[in-house]
Amino acid sequence: MTPQSIAIAKHRFGFGYYPQRYWNWLIGSAFFLGGIGGATFLLSIMTRFRPGMILGYLIVVMGKNTAHLLFLGRPERFWRAAMRPDRSWIARGIWATGLFAVSGLICLFPQGWAVPAAILTAAQVVAMISAFFIMFYDGFVMNTSPAIAFWHTKLLPLLILMYAGLGGTTISLTLRELFGVQDLVPVLSQAEHLLLVGNFLLLAGYLVRMSRWTPAARETARLLLHGTYARVFLGLVIAVGLLATLLLSTVQNLAGRPELVILIVLSELTGDFTLVMVLLKSGLFSPQSAPSWR
Amino acid sequence: MARLGMVIDLRRCIGCNACTLACKQENGTPEDIHFARVVTREVGTYPATKRTFLPVLCNHCEDAPCAEACPSGATWIREDGIVMVDREKCIGCRACAVACPYMNRHFIARGLLENGYSADGLSPFEAVKFAEFEEGTMTKCTLCAHRIDAGLLPACVVTCPTDARIFGDWDDPSGKLQKLVDGRGGWALLPECKTKPKVYYLDD
Repeated sequence: MTPQSIAIAKHRFGFGYYPQRYWNWLIGSAFFLGGIGGATFLLSIMTRFRPGMILGYLIVVMGKNTAHLLFLGRPERFWRAAMRPDRSWIARGIWATGLFAVSGLICLFPQGWAVPAAILTAAQVVAMISAFFIMFYDGFVMNTSPAIAFWHTKLLPLLILMYAGLGGTTISLTLRELFGVQDLVPVLSQAEHLLLVGNFLLLAGYLVRMSRWTPAARETARLLLHGTYARVFLGLVIAVGLLATLLLSTVQNLAGRPELVILIVLSELTGDFTLVMVLLKSGLFSPQSAPSWR
Repeated sequence: MARLGMVIDLRRCIGCNACTLACKQENGTPEDIHFARVVTREVGTYPATKRTFLPVLCNHCEDAPCAEACPSGATWIREDGIVMVDREKCIGCRACAVACPYMNRHFIARGLLENGYSADGLSPFEAVKFAEFEEGTMTKCTLCAHRIDAGLLPACVVTCPTDARIFGDWDDPSGKLQKLVDGRGGWALLPECKTKPKVYYLDD
C-alpha cells in the first residue's frame, strides 16, 4: 500500500495519519525567537556590537520565554521543567535559558559599572555557550520524539541551527545598517549568502531524505511539496525566505541600497518563522494498524 | 517485580466499543478524552467491504518515550510497569503527547472541566469524577491502577463481551501472555518506535 492511499484521520477513532496538534503557534514562536535571538546575541557579542547584544537578549528572555509561558498548561509550575536535565532536552533548554538570562545581563551592564574582569569574562563565556545552545536545542526537543518520523532525524537540529544562524546574521546586518556601523558588513553579508545557499541545499537534502524514509515521513514530504502545505512551504519558505532574500541581498550589495535591508530582514524572518510552523503543523503520527492492514 | 500488560485478540473483537464506554464510565474522563478507543477501518470495494477493528489504549511501554520526554518528572513508572502521571508535577508542556507514538496522552484544556457532556454544568457523576483531573495538565490510561490495587481487573477487560482482552503479568511464571503471543504470532503496534510496549495483539 502506498502512503498516498492512507488518508489523514479526521478523529482518533479513524484510521490514518494523525496530524500533530499538541504544539501550536506559541511553541513555534518560542522556537523561532530562541533561534534568531540566540544567534543575534552570539554574533553580536563576538563582534562587540552592543545593539545586537541587547536585541538578541530581549528576543530570548522576553520573547521566547513569554511564548513558552503562555503555552504551558500550568505556567506557575514552569520551574519544574528544569527537574530532569539528565534525560529531557526541554529541561536542558530551561537551564541554558536561565544561565543565558543571568550571564547575558551581566554582559550588558553599562561599561561604567565596575564589574570585576574575571566575572565579566566568565559571564561572556557562559552567555556565548548558552546562546549557542539556545540556537539549536529546540531541534533536539523535536527530534527525540519517535512518534513523528519527519522530526526524528539528526538533520533537524542542524536545520534549526542553520536557520537560527541565518536569522541572526540577517538581523545583525540590518542593525548595523540602521546604526550606521559598517565594519564587518561585507563579511556578514558573505556569511548570509553562504547560509542562504546552505539552507536551501540542506532543506532539499532533508526533503530527499524524508521522501525515502518511513511512510509517515514520506507523507509529510508530500504534503510540503504537493499537498496541503505546498503553497505555504514553496511560497513563503523557499521563494520568499530564501530566494527573495538572496536576490534582495545581492541587489543591495551591488547597488548599495540600504533601504532594502528592511525588506531583506522581513523576507528572511518570514521564511524562517514559516519553516518552523510548517514543521510543527505537518508532523504526522503514523497510523496504528495491524500488519494485515498494511 | 511484575510487568503488567495485555494481549488483545483481534479475531474476537467485534468493534462494539464496550471497552471505550467502560473506560469512560470507570474513569469519568472529560469530553473527547478516551483512554481506550477502537480504531476502525473500512476495507475493500463495494459491495465486498468490511470493517476491521483495532482496540487501542496506553501501551505502558518499558522504554516509554513519554517518560523520557517529560521535563518535570511528572510521568513515572510504577514497580508493576504501569506508566502514570503525577498531575501536581505536570506543567502542561505536552512534550509527552508529542513523544507518544500511540497518541494516548491527553491534555485537559482550560475550561474542559467546567462543563460536562450536557450544557447544564456538571452532573453529580461528573462532579465526582472530574475532581480526579486538573486543567492544564496531562492525563492518561492508568490500566485502572486503582482497580488493580484493589485486586480487580481493568474495566475494559471486565467489560469486553467477547473476552478479547487478556490481562496479565508478562513476568508471570505460568507465562499466559507470553504463550499466547508465542503460540499465535502476536505483535505490538509500531515496533519501529522501539518503545517495548506491554500491549500485544493477536490476529491469527
